[in-house]
Amino acid sequence: MERGGEVDEESNPLGGSRAAAGLGVPATPFYAWPTVDGQLGLESEDKAVEYARRFFFWGFFCLPWLWAVNCFYFWPALRGWPATSTPFPRLRPYIVRSALGFLVFTVLLASWALTFAIGGEQVFGPAWNNLVMYNVARKLDLTLWN
Amino acid sequence: MATANSGSPSPPPPSILDTLGEEIVRIVAPVSACMLLVVLLTAVLSPSSGGPSSILTDIVSDSTDSSSSSWVEQLGAALLNSLRFVVLITALTFLLLLLFYLRCTAFLRYYMAFSSTLVLALMGGGLFVLLLHRFDVPLDCFTFLVLLFNFAIVGAVAVLGAVPIAVTQGYLVLIGVLVAYWFTMLPEWTTWALLMAMALYDLAAVLLPVGPLRLLVELAISRDEEIPALVYEARPVVEHHEGAPTAPPRRRLWREVRGSSPNSASNLNAYASVATESQGEEARLVTVEEGRAGETLASALSVPLLEQQLQRAREDDDDGIGLGTSGAIKLGLGDFIFYSVLVGRAAMYDFMTAYACYLAIIAGLGITLLLLAVYRKALPALPVSIAFGLVFYFLTRLLLEVFVVQCSLNLVMF
Repeated sequence: MERGGEVDEESNPLGGSRAAAGLGVPATPFYAWPTVDGQLGLESEDKAVEYARRFFFWGFFCLPWLWAVNCFYFWPALRGWPATSTPFPRLRPYIVRSALGFLVFTVLLASWALTFAIGGEQVFGPAWNNLVMYNVARKLDLTLWN
Repeated sequence: MATANSGSPSPPPPSILDTLGEEIVRIVAPVSACMLLVVLLTAVLSPSSGGPSSILTDIVSDSTDSSSSSWVEQLGAALLNSLRFVVLITALTFLLLLLFYLRCTAFLRYYMAFSSTLVLALMGGGLFVLLLHRFDVPLDCFTFLVLLFNFAIVGAVAVLGAVPIAVTQGYLVLIGVLVAYWFTMLPEWTTWALLMAMALYDLAAVLLPVGPLRLLVELAISRDEEIPALVYEARPVVEHHEGAPTAPPRRRLWREVRGSSPNSASNLNAYASVATESQGEEARLVTVEEGRAGETLASALSVPLLEQQLQRAREDDDDGIGLGTSGAIKLGLGDFIFYSVLVGRAAMYDFMTAYACYLAIIAGLGITLLLLAVYRKALPALPVSIAFGLVFYFLTRLLLEVFVVQCSLNLVMF
């Protein structure tokens, strides 16, 4: 995936020349770039929608970080948060759902991790020692320290 | 549409100093960040404070007992190890060249992603566990696995290039940090011999007409393709003096290419086996493991090249590759790794040597960029910096340290 490798030779600033060509229907409005990279990122909303959809789909395989990257990548789609008119109508639902998914997953994971860390043995009993990572590493002989 | 600027005076177009400085900063900053992280890791995880014993010492037969064998033997063993390493890297680079020649580019890219996933998962996981142990963080294994899984998989996606530039750059720097950290666990003599050997290899491979890196670069130029390697590409400086966002800048690949040399070493698998079985590995396997955890290491190790890619068509200096033109500077991941290994190993002696080596390396990098602007072709980035780094390390250790210590003891300075 070359970043901008496929040169969009006929992309027109502000849809000017398309309108001038008499089509009447404005092309994908080019007043904003769909990705956070701006000029160096993806050029059109169609490609962006495809990427966003794939990120959203694969994020369900226990990959919330992919959802976070999705939100970061298409940050311009989230910018007008409560606004109704958005420049990327097809892109936005995926990003919003990715953001929600990431938040939910983070809350769940953080609450589990904090319960584990703070509760310790009082909550879990002797099983705590079997679940802590450095003990697990020691048991599986993955330790590299003496 | 272009009337927006008619009323107000437009700012003067950025001069070459602005863009030049920006480009240099954008390449020096990640190199410095990589070095800083490796120094921090070696300082925090030093063997005395609960860090790993140098596991690679058992494997790399530098000397069984460093005090008993003479320095000649140690030197000989170190040189032998580094020679094995260089031979391996040369072989792997030629293999990569062959695969690239046979147009197996897709295979190479997927292999790169796969090997970087393994590096992030195994080396990153190992380092993560070390840090958890060192700081006594009670993280449970489920969260650990989820975090590591996410980290590694998104790393693969980043290497394939489907994520924002910042994420890709961050992941490349992290891969460099991880590989460099594990390299600092080599025995000391081997490390220095290896650095010297890699600098010489880099010089030969890029500048000699028969060098694999030069052939790779020329092949990529003739086909106008990108080399499938782990290369850090600095974000190109985009001019903002136009008012409205216009069409994306025309990008042309490779006017002249510099190559990073990705070697397709499939030693990541070898490394995996090394990691799990600690003893009984031959030095050969170890050098394999050191050398390349697949493409990632390969590019890192054998790559040390600087490249510039022409990114915009400018009226004046269209075809040039140099700092003045609008191009993105590319630095192979191998450069990151070996710079960081040098500074990390210097930091294991004392921070004074680390500072001196850092300054030497940055000076060397600056000189290499200058040569890049002058010669405008692929240049090896390792030799100058490593040479400076080595010279400064030994000078500092032998001369400056004595001086500083004596001054401090006699309350003259510092």
